[in-house]
Amino acid sequence: MSQSVAITAFRLPNWAKLPVIIGGLIVLFWTAVVLTINFWPIDDPIEMVAKRLMPPSAAHWFGTDALGRDVLSRTLHGARLSLLMSCAVIAAAVGIGCTLGAIAGYVGGFVDGIIMRLVDITLAFPPILLAMAITASLGPGLENAAIAMIVVWWPVYARLMRGQVLTVKVREHVEAAIAGGAGHSRTLLTHILPLTWSPILVNATMDFGQVVLLAASLSFIGLGASPPTPEWGSMISEGAIHFYKWWICAGPGIAILSVVLGFNFIGDGLRDYLDPRSR
Amino acid sequence: MGTIRQHLRVAAFLSASLSAVALLPGAAAAEGNTVVIARSFDFNSLDPARAFCDTCQIYLSNAYESLIGLGTDNKTLEPRLATKWTGNADQSQFTFTLDPDAKFSDGSPVEAKDVKWSFERLQNLKGGAAFMMDGVTKIDTPDATTVVVTLAGPNSEFLNILSAPYTAVVNSDVAAANGAAAGADAETADKAEEWFLANSAGSGAYQLVSYKADDEMRLKANQEYKRSKLSVTDVVFKHTKDAVTQAQLLESGGVDIAMQIDPDTAKTMNTDNLTVETIPSYNFLYVALAPGAKGAPKLTKEVREAISLALDYDGIIDFTVGGAGTKVSSPIPTGFPGTEGLAAPQQNLDKAKELMAKAGVADGFEINSEFPNMNAYGVDLSLLSQKIQQDLAKINIKMNLTPLEFSVWRDHVRGDGIPLTTSFYAPDYYGSAQYVQFFGMIEGQPWWNRAGGKNDASITNPETAELLKKALAATEADKPGVYKEIAESMMSDHIIIPVVSPNLVLAHSKKVTGVRYSACCNLLLNEIGVQ
Repeated sequence: MSQSVAITAFRLPNWAKLPVIIGGLIVLFWTAVVLTINFWPIDDPIEMVAKRLMPPSAAHWFGTDALGRDVLSRTLHGARLSLLMSCAVIAAAVGIGCTLGAIAGYVGGFVDGIIMRLVDITLAFPPILLAMAITASLGPGLENAAIAMIVVWWPVYARLMRGQVLTVKVREHVEAAIAGGAGHSRTLLTHILPLTWSPILVNATMDFGQVVLLAASLSFIGLGASPPTPEWGSMISEGAIHFYKWWICAGPGIAILSVVLGFNFIGDGLRDYLDPRSR
Repeated sequence: MGTIRQHLRVAAFLSASLSAVALLPGAAAAEGNTVVIARSFDFNSLDPARAFCDTCQIYLSNAYESLIGLGTDNKTLEPRLATKWTGNADQSQFTFTLDPDAKFSDGSPVEAKDVKWSFERLQNLKGGAAFMMDGVTKIDTPDATTVVVTLAGPNSEFLNILSAPYTAVVNSDVAAANGAAAGADAETADKAEEWFLANSAGSGAYQLVSYKADDEMRLKANQEYKRSKLSVTDVVFKHTKDAVTQAQLLESGGVDIAMQIDPDTAKTMNTDNLTVETIPSYNFLYVALAPGAKGAPKLTKEVREAISLALDYDGIIDFTVGGAGTKVSSPIPTGFPGTEGLAAPQQNLDKAKELMAKAGVADGFEINSEFPNMNAYGVDLSLLSQKIQQDLAKINIKMNLTPLEFSVWRDHVRGDGIPLTTSFYAPDYYGSAQYVQFFGMIEGQPWWNRAGGKNDASITNPETAELLKKALAATEADKPGVYKEIAESMMSDHIIIPVVSPNLVLAHSKKVTGVRYSACCNLLLNEIGVQ
């Protein structure tokens, strides 16, 4: 009886199911890695530390690559690049997309038409192809890959924000604020935007993993990070040359998988939490 | 581990099988008399006067013929379109007698006028291989089967040069009717490059059926070819970028020959139905420095020597080809005249640091290094560049690596130049002059231009030019000695720093016979048979 009471007392809310906890732990782990990797007692990710192509062992848990570099060290250091770049891309895409989407939804008319046609044109291209074309024209490199990904991602947020603004701006409290003499910027910033952020947040969380994946894809085909920078996509590309030395790809592969899964789990949980209908 | 490998092999088999199905409609490799070959394409053109690349050698030597051929020992010259030849005493004039039975693929005879037109076009179009016609001043055709070539001075290598695939003889009537020009204004007047992408006009064993860039090239047997009996009627070259995919396709039967498998991958292959042979080759990879390139740091001779001394040559061979390769002493690779007794390169970090300090750059500098993102002779150039980056970091040189598509890299290296790059070279014929003409710091020559000779006159080495003249006038007995002097002179430039000559992996299905390495032509299809 007392045990049952204890379980009931610690029962998690619906949105915080096991996957969310797992996702949270994964994200926490990678965040800790990004913040503290320089203090870890691991090998240099750039220098040769052992014989080349050594399988996993006690000394090198994920083995060594074709240049004798520790795959575990490169995988962990790769997190900093992949995750920080994803943060920057998502932040920029949300900033640009939400600003333009809010303007389009609030102003409407000709401005709305122009912005949304731009969104339509951008979304008409498959993301990977558009990112490849932009990176190829700007030249390979991390900065250009990030620019390409921002170009690919902002329209999603513009469309989402426009929809939210269109829904909120016809609500009575907004009409009341306008009738009370509130200016456009005050109406938009104070009365509309605070009610639009939840789907944006959910989407941004879910997209985080997708940006990691796209960044890795661009590096895999040689358009992202330049060697010898430890980056998950380029590590997998290098591993593919030595296809039967499976451990070279395994480290960055597991890292990508865990980050994408982690953020998807959290995104799902957030959606459940923020959507009253799913409670 | 074994289980994982089995799964990988199943996955490899499935992917390779799918590729094979996509490759040939309704046909497996080597079905009937078709042979399918996996190779990473590096074509810059299919026009004999413009093409200059390793895959171009294969195409040109099979779709066209030169006056002279290279024997199976990769040294002896043999008759091809010319049945016999003579030279004057100082080797400045050569007379060739053409095979009266030789015919182009359209049935028309190969005549002296075609030889004259082809050589003049190669010279005047100024393509990558135009240097092979350096010194040709006059070509006479007293009759349809006699060609007399007069040179500005002695050239003891001219006959060897004529065994290179780039000296292919083209059907001048057909080519001219399709926009080709051979006159002095050929550079602007010639409009045939596109036509050559869909057509061949030679007398070789095969003729072009179709070519799709970065996809495939199909050849069919030339019915007019009588030099030997052809066992294979159709040849498909499939652009396959990496060694692992080539190995998978070969193991699964998707292709019959894989041309660029690296020794590491070769060790992992299931060879039950395959012949996998590793042999030494003349191919080599090198580091090239360009003191006159845009954005280059000060690459004085001392700094260049320091770079050459900082490289871990043994490590490079181990890291790039798993030890299956050899060191190369000079830009003239080991085995060619003049290379006997040359000291093998060795890493010497102390001396390298000393030279850097002497040059006033003990704290090092940054240098941009763009390289072609590809596999050459089984060596992944990204891996090679990263190894060099590690080595140069030891003398405080920070290399900023940028991988590029081969065509983009080629434009950059021929345009503003690249301060430090990695590249590769395979011989075009048996003879040392080609290396001097291509790599020598002689004004106007290919690597003198690429190294920025126009912006930095200090890289010009007049001694090399003088020695080349001496070598071209030398007797067979004296040639090795003079070329050795040239090799040492080029080594002292430290512009072209050879790093490894990888062993060549000849990998093919046991059903295919006659596969061998040709020093001029890579792979001769007319020698291939199918059991």
